[in-house]
Amino acid sequence: MVTDLSHLAERLRLITAEVADSGASLGSGVLWPPGCVVTNAHVVRGSRAAVRLVDGRRLEGLVIARDTDADLVLLRVLGTGIPAASIGDSAPVGSLVAAVGHPLGVRGALSVGVVHAVGPIRPDGRSWIQADVRLARGNSGGPLADASGQVIGLNAMVVGPLALAIPMREVAHFVRTAGVAAP
Amino acid sequence: MNELVALSNGLAAAVQQTSQSIFAVTARRRTGSTGVHWRPGLVVTADHTVQTEDDIVLTRPDGGSVSATLAGRDPTVDLAVLRVDAGDVPVARIGDSTAVQAGHIVLAVGEGPRASWGVVSSIASGRGGPGRAVFDLDLTLYPGFSGGPLVDVSGQVIGINTSGASRSQHLAIPAAVVEALLDGLQRRGHIPRPYLGVSTQPLRLPDALRQRMSLEQDSAVIVVAVQPGSPAAQGGLMIGDVMVSLGGASITDPMDLRRVLQPDRVGESLVASVIRGGEPRDLHLRVGERSR
Repeated sequence: MVTDLSHLAERLRLITAEVADSGASLGSGVLWPPGCVVTNAHVVRGSRAAVRLVDGRRLEGLVIARDTDADLVLLRVLGTGIPAASIGDSAPVGSLVAAVGHPLGVRGALSVGVVHAVGPIRPDGRSWIQADVRLARGNSGGPLADASGQVIGLNAMVVGPLALAIPMREVAHFVRTAGVAAP
Repeated sequence: MNELVALSNGLAAAVQQTSQSIFAVTARRRTGSTGVHWRPGLVVTADHTVQTEDDIVLTRPDGGSVSATLAGRDPTVDLAVLRVDAGDVPVARIGDSTAVQAGHIVLAVGEGPRASWGVVSSIASGRGGPGRAVFDLDLTLYPGFSGGPLVDVSGQVIGINTSGASRSQHLAIPAAVVEALLDGLQRRGHIPRPYLGVSTQPLRLPDALRQRMSLEQDSAVIVVAVQPGSPAAQGGLMIGDVMVSLGGASITDPMDLRRVLQPDRVGESLVASVIRGGEPRDLHLRVGERSR
């Protein structure tokens, strides 16, 4: 199990980018779909961002779509040479989940927990994957993945001990609306 | 399939299965709690979340509401038992809590269902009273999780979670303690409420006294009131007595006294070691039952 977990961490680090806009804001992003990095709108406020890959290369990301209400931004990032993340549907309550990001500036930090619930926090609110996993500033925009390494959500918010992730179904809808193929 | 995926599937299955046997409990203002359908018609929850004896409403896993009555309570271990017509809601699968070890992976399940995970961080023997262990948990008990099941990786319920009245603790009462309480309830038809008839306050013991009496504890309780005719009065306890132990358990504060007075001790004669006028003496107190 320990080996499986370190493989999972390695796999997720590969598809997790460090995203910095011209301000001081530092967040994470997911290499998905091919040729793009998707992250939170609150991570990238301008029209471009610096994207740092796991191997240390720095590439430029251009904002090609933004939805502030959904808290999503799509960056065009060419020449990563890294296969895009594979994505999956939300996992049932109690399933293991893993997050990788750069909380408080710690690069590629792994957090592991379980799905706490799936659904709105308040009645009529938007639906979140609510995860019992410890995240912090800098995890925003990073992947929440299931035990097989499929990305099921984009970490967006921390409420007390809970992490809230935008379901990938919603992220895929945003990407398609931007006119980009979302496999 | 790798081990991680197998574990993940197992945890999700454990939550899914347990969630079929839990009720949402509404017996206090603001946050509700969770209850486990432990034996047919009996739902176990955390005592501190039951603040009314009337108007207790349970919500079934399918969303339907059903009213419940209080069958009994044991505040010493923060357990309450509710009686309900559970219909087709299955009873939970109960595991062997005596086999639980520190380090075991566990899940806490709340109504919804919602879940959190972690490990048993230690097993504090005697914290729930003499002979009663309590599981210390390294996991988050979210609002409403008190009274809900602690579940092992095989999906068996091994305890009842509670954050305590202070909401800051992360504990579980082992299944074995729940079983003993329910056995007593079903044998007698009710859970007796033990009674001594004494009021106490915590007291710091002077070093000189501790040395002279060879006491390890640095505090005890001082008797500030004795109800006339009560078991305490009949046993000869007097105002001003300093009680250092009862029934072989050290008494360092009034809470310790409550922990000793478990329901199954009603009728038992307990030795109270007291200091009166600087001299030790043993009194025999027969634990009474508070009228219902």
